Amino acid sequence: MPVYSISHVENVRICVVMVGLPARGKSLIAQKIVRYLSWLSIKAKCFNVGSYRRNLAGDRPVDASFFDPKNKDGLEVRQEAVNSAIRDMMSWFMDENGVVGILDATNSTRQRREQILRLCRENGIEPMFLESWCDDQELILQNIADVKTTSPDYTNRNSELATDDFLKRIAFYEQGYETMDKDVDNSLTFIKLVNVNSQIILNRIESYLESRIVYYVMNLHIKPRSIWLSRHGESQYNLTGQIGGDADLSERGMRYAKRLPELVLKSLGEENKHTNLTVWTSTMKRTQQTASFLPYKKKLQWKALDELDAGECDGMTYEEIEQKFPEDFKARDDNKYEYRYRGGESYRDIVIRLEPIIMELERQENILIITHQAVLRCLYAYFMNVPQEESPWMSIPLHTLIKLEPRAYLTLVTSIKADIPAVSTYKEKGTSQLGETETMTSKSRDIIRNSKDLA
Amino acid sequence: MTQLYSTESGRLFHAGKICIALAGLPGRGKTHLSVSLTRYLRWLGVKTHSFHLGDYRRASAVLDLHHELFMPEPEEREANEMRNRIVDECVNDMLNFFEKDKGQVAIYDAVNALPEDRLKLSQKFLSANIQVLFIESSVTDDSIIMRNMESAARSSPDYVNWDYEKAYKDYSDRIKFLTPYYQEMGTKDAENSLSYIKFINFGDRIELHNSNYGYLINKVVFFLMNSRIKLGSVFFARCYKNSLEYTQDPPLDDEGDKYARNLTKTLLNHLAKEGKAYAKHLNQTSTERPKVQREYSVEERHPAAGVDGVDENSLVVWTSVKKRTMETTKYFTEKGVNIRHRIQLSQKNPGVVGGMNEVEIEKKFPSEYALFKQDPYHHRFSRAELYHDLAIKIEPLILEMERMSGDILIIADDTVLKVFYGYLMSCSCYDIPSLNFSTDEIIEIRFNAYSNSARVIPIESN
Repeated sequence: MPVYSISHVENVRICVVMVGLPARGKSLIAQKIVRYLSWLSIKAKCFNVGSYRRNLAGDRPVDASFFDPKNKDGLEVRQEAVNSAIRDMMSWFMDENGVVGILDATNSTRQRREQILRLCRENGIEPMFLESWCDDQELILQNIADVKTTSPDYTNRNSELATDDFLKRIAFYEQGYETMDKDVDNSLTFIKLVNVNSQIILNRIESYLESRIVYYVMNLHIKPRSIWLSRHGESQYNLTGQIGGDADLSERGMRYAKRLPELVLKSLGEENKHTNLTVWTSTMKRTQQTASFLPYKKKLQWKALDELDAGECDGMTYEEIEQKFPEDFKARDDNKYEYRYRGGESYRDIVIRLEPIIMELERQENILIITHQAVLRCLYAYFMNVPQEESPWMSIPLHTLIKLEPRAYLTLVTSIKADIPAVSTYKEKGTSQLGETETMTSKSRDIIRNSKDLA
Repeated sequence: MTQLYSTESGRLFHAGKICIALAGLPGRGKTHLSVSLTRYLRWLGVKTHSFHLGDYRRASAVLDLHHELFMPEPEEREANEMRNRIVDECVNDMLNFFEKDKGQVAIYDAVNALPEDRLKLSQKFLSANIQVLFIESSVTDDSIIMRNMESAARSSPDYVNWDYEKAYKDYSDRIKFLTPYYQEMGTKDAENSLSYIKFINFGDRIELHNSNYGYLINKVVFFLMNSRIKLGSVFFARCYKNSLEYTQDPPLDDEGDKYARNLTKTLLNHLAKEGKAYAKHLNQTSTERPKVQREYSVEERHPAAGVDGVDENSLVVWTSVKKRTMETTKYFTEKGVNIRHRIQLSQKNPGVVGGMNEVEIEKKFPSEYALFKQDPYHHRFSRAELYHDLAIKIEPLILEMERMSGDILIIADDTVLKVFYGYLMSCSCYDIPSLNFSTDEIIEIRFNAYSNSARVIPIESN
């Protein structure tokens, strides 16, 4: 089975070098790029120079003075940290066939960037510099608040002292900071983001995958918002255990559709009850029927949100598939992510068709998506960074509204169960019987079950 | 319910009305930009029209060519009046396009040399609730300007029936006259509030100002990032045996194998005849092909590592992941050509009407059939994909194709080829479903600044 993706990547090597003062959202951007590419099966990894530095510094206390350009000891350690990070990245490219490596550090001087440039070129790679530049004090303080609570440098430190120390650290970096310049750095590939995308300079973008990364970054925003996910209500096919098809909702499914507007209001909370949502459904009857009682004006159908196409197995029950195609049945259990139904699709295929949806979701604000089990698993996997081996096995029950709130370094999940019974459509590995048992093994499956239940 | 990309009859609900105003001296490829953006946006289903000020000037000028007319501030009163009248006429047509024809994107192709004029234009559209984005094309590389001047002297509508030398001189005079007047965008503070993109040396550098634009403009930027002056060709070939049911996935039979061999032979012969240097190596039977790869020093830029189509002298084959299309490429593999499998190239899912001919469809679904006949591009039979769905699915491939500078062969089902061809040849979406591709031909598309061209290469049989 050939591996394919949004772009041919077999021998592609891209090294993204972050540039910018502390608290400019570099790590956030780097992590989102890694999550997005990994979800698309493009091997990506972030090399955070700070953690190398912490390892090297050992027990030495790291406060602002460590970052003083006059502190020789500090300089040496930081230099060594960059070198090790790049060394590790290059062996990751070689030994593990990495495709996109991200060097997450300030890289604030031209001298440092020149040195990285040479190291990359010695390995046959033209690096892409990605600078986040910001002089909006409010944004910076907001970022500092984020960093303080998440950076290992400030665990167990008094909050005010930490802010103070961090501002001093930034001041040291500012002394030598040289921003990417369109004249001086004209020969380099670089992207410069000014005040969260209000100005962007793109210089010498040379490959499709690079442009894809840029496009993704351009679509990111930091406004608070939520995404709601729900499967369609129970369908006639769910009752009979058949997969695929384009069946109508069952009587209980219809009850869920009628209850859904109330669940959404509950999830929005009293003060946000007038928030206007946009509703996305698939082109299938069961998702449209589920959305039909929602009061929101903007409703969109996406073919890309249709359920996984089971090809020749469409309309069968799992028992019938096991009888008729025993080998396929086993092959699917062995590698559910890659298995493609005869004449149908695999989970990998779904991820590729969902990519434009993810891009659009990043750009949009409040969206409610009503779709199908397999598609929901893939969308959920993107936001929660669930690995491919686990995502097809997650249990996402019917008649449950899930709310995702993307935050800087994680996504919060809450769920509300409608008190309307429905069959289980969950199939455990190695059986054709539906339903969840006590002995289930997969780990990530529990994320939804253990999410905060608002009901 | 609406679709993300709506039909030509309505606008995208969440994108609003946009005027893209170009700016830049002659010879900076503005017309090329407006033509390629119009093609891309229309293909996405966005109602787009480009308005070339030059067309209006040609239609109204008494003297056919009059340098004064190109100037932003002509000294003669008469010329000044005429110029203002021409600009007003063009702008009014754009406003009418938005108001009466439900247009979504108007592209205004003019020099727009002065900040005052640009601000005035922006205010005029903003007051009509139309977003304005300027794209300023500037070129610092003289060789690009020379090439554009040659191409304008040869093919610009201003110089029909002109002697080439004379046309070239006239065009270069025109640039000389205008250069002192032209004021780059963003050099005056008054323009700080405008949204504009500086497009420098055809995408070498792109600068976005006030760039929280929204959906459509982000797409335009992504397109600009990948848009290159293309030298290679795109070839289309159908996959063998196309009357199969959607869900079936058999391997190639003997006939199919013969087809694969003939297709390979025909294309490689054609490429050799065209004098493509790489084709010579491909046709050698020896397994040892000389690898031309030079070493780069750390002092110079390296080419993108491992990326297809960086070299204009290369061929790559794209196929779907169906067995028969993958097997069709095996003789290319033997010749050392790179093959890329793309799930997006799988044929259009026919849904409930799979395996039926039109007569059968009409009999079984008479009312649906009538709707389908009205709009075959957008009509969805139950569980079927639309041509429009295919377009959304293959859009990333279209952009990647725009970026690559070498040759590409696409082997796919004819439903997919129609959508690719429709994009490259700017077909209306009403014509795309009825395009026809024969299994005994390869279609070659060549890129050109004003419009692309297609030609047929018969597949040799033996």
